[in-house]
Amino acid sequence: MMGLASYLLISLILFVAGLVVMIARKNIVAILLGIELILNASALNFVAYSRYVTNNLDGHIFSLFIIVVAAAEAAVGLAIVIRFFQIKETVHVDEATQLRN
Amino acid sequence: MIQQLLGFLSYYIPELMCVVLMTTLLMAEAAVKEEHGSRDKIYTYALAVLALTLIPLFQNLSKPPVIIFHNAVTIDAFSTMIKIIMVLGTMGSIFLSRSSKDIYTNLKSEFAIMAVGVLIGGMLLASANNMLTLYLGIETLSILSYVMSSLKRDEATSAEAGMKYALYGGLTAGVMLYGISHLYGVLGTIQFSEMIGGLGSLEGTNMMIVMVSFLLFFAGIGYKISCFPFHMWSPDVYQGAPIPVTSFFSIVPKLGGLAALVRVSMVFFNHETIISVSWIGLMLVISAMTMTVGNVTAIGQTSVKRMLAFSSIGHIGMMILGVVVLNDVGVRAILFYGIVYMFMTLIAFYITSHLSDMYGTDSIDVFKGLIYKHPLMAIIMASVLFSLAGMPPFSGFIAKFNIFSVIIEKKYYGIALVAAVNSVIALYYYMKLAKTMIFGEMKSDEKVAGFTTANQAVIVALFIPVVFLGIFWEKVMIMSGNAAIFIK
Repeated sequence: MMGLASYLLISLILFVAGLVVMIARKNIVAILLGIELILNASALNFVAYSRYVTNNLDGHIFSLFIIVVAAAEAAVGLAIVIRFFQIKETVHVDEATQLRN
Repeated sequence: MIQQLLGFLSYYIPELMCVVLMTTLLMAEAAVKEEHGSRDKIYTYALAVLALTLIPLFQNLSKPPVIIFHNAVTIDAFSTMIKIIMVLGTMGSIFLSRSSKDIYTNLKSEFAIMAVGVLIGGMLLASANNMLTLYLGIETLSILSYVMSSLKRDEATSAEAGMKYALYGGLTAGVMLYGISHLYGVLGTIQFSEMIGGLGSLEGTNMMIVMVSFLLFFAGIGYKISCFPFHMWSPDVYQGAPIPVTSFFSIVPKLGGLAALVRVSMVFFNHETIISVSWIGLMLVISAMTMTVGNVTAIGQTSVKRMLAFSSIGHIGMMILGVVVLNDVGVRAILFYGIVYMFMTLIAFYITSHLSDMYGTDSIDVFKGLIYKHPLMAIIMASVLFSLAGMPPFSGFIAKFNIFSVIIEKKYYGIALVAAVNSVIALYYYMKLAKTMIFGEMKSDEKVAGFTTANQAVIVALFIPVVFLGIFWEKVMIMSGNAAIFIK
């Protein structure tokens, strides 16, 4: 049986995986993927809660908006990364050290 | 149905005007490319429409508060006041971008387009009445801000600033969403007014989930106002971004985030429950840490942009204190602080921008001997620094005084002491800059090209409120007198 608990567990795993990717990986594109994982974790939560607990459509609407905003954010994020790559010729996060005290 | 919708739209005219402005600016930008004259027309058009949006905003100020679009958006005096401040701040930054050399000539009208876009997001955020509008407001604000901070696109620093902003922003937005999703699951709705009912009858596991979710939720707002654990991006982005963008960032997104924080705190934590007590505790700690970190780190900075970034972190810490008391007097104190802070920040960035255009650096050295070259500008800058530090007779003093009076009234003596010590620290680094202006050795006798008569006139015009709001502050408090938060 698939219940609410299984969905929440999967979304928790996705969320933690996203955080780990953001902390552990040094490649900026991989970090953007981590952000997507976190966003998808919350979208899954919304749909699961909407189906099993609250019985209204708020969660469905919210997850649709999350998908749209995630796409916009990824587009802008990738554009900035491309610009960074054209200037620095690397997408390694440790190279982004010009702005410091 | 249609009639009701049209009635709603009459409250929403300022936002609609901004949307139309942004769309038409996009088309106008595509139509005229290289000629300089037409770009002047674009500027005039943008500033004129933004000035026109002030008329319906001031009309909304005197109307009774309403909830429109199926409980999605609140139009009350508080949100309208925040919108007025944000529109003024946007106008100031767009005007600055016209003369600044920090923005490439072919990107100047694009700055105006994106500034108006961020303004729309800020307006949505200031009047959000459910979690979805709040999230959309924050994201509209953020996504355009990422682009704005990497506007100086041939320079590595600007690309780096945009990248750091986007990565931190994406992370905190995701964490905030995860918090909201659990709040939705436990409380069963995303409407603020319906969520309050659920908060009273929580126990056991649900209580724990809600408390952790609110903590996660705070990450998103805390990042927008750059308070203590989430402030790391702010100095880097401020330094990497062009100066008009920096001055814009320190006004519009911050006040939008602060408005959301005020509304959320006033709606959810206005009753004596264990959640609201822990929220107030959290706000006290965050405010104390934000002020201290901002002001102490500002001391050692040699870049004026970076120093102003840290000082704005300190000011946000001060404004959060108005949230802690959770009453209308505190909200009014925040609004007054916001108005005064907007004018002071604009002047400080105007003068810094013209000086750094001249010397090609934003180091503190560019201020050396300014008083011999441009006495009026130096006096205004010194007065603004005094005002930022909270010295009488300028309006910065009254703003700080209001905050102090509300927290002492509620008997938070400890935090008042922290705030007082921080004001002294702030005075030290502001005075260091003033000292450089007056006693520093001049590099050359050459006048600063940016200080044309028109630009000086604008700076003087911006300076008038800094002086006179300090004297006629009661009038402003009366105007924002009904700026209570409307909950329905």
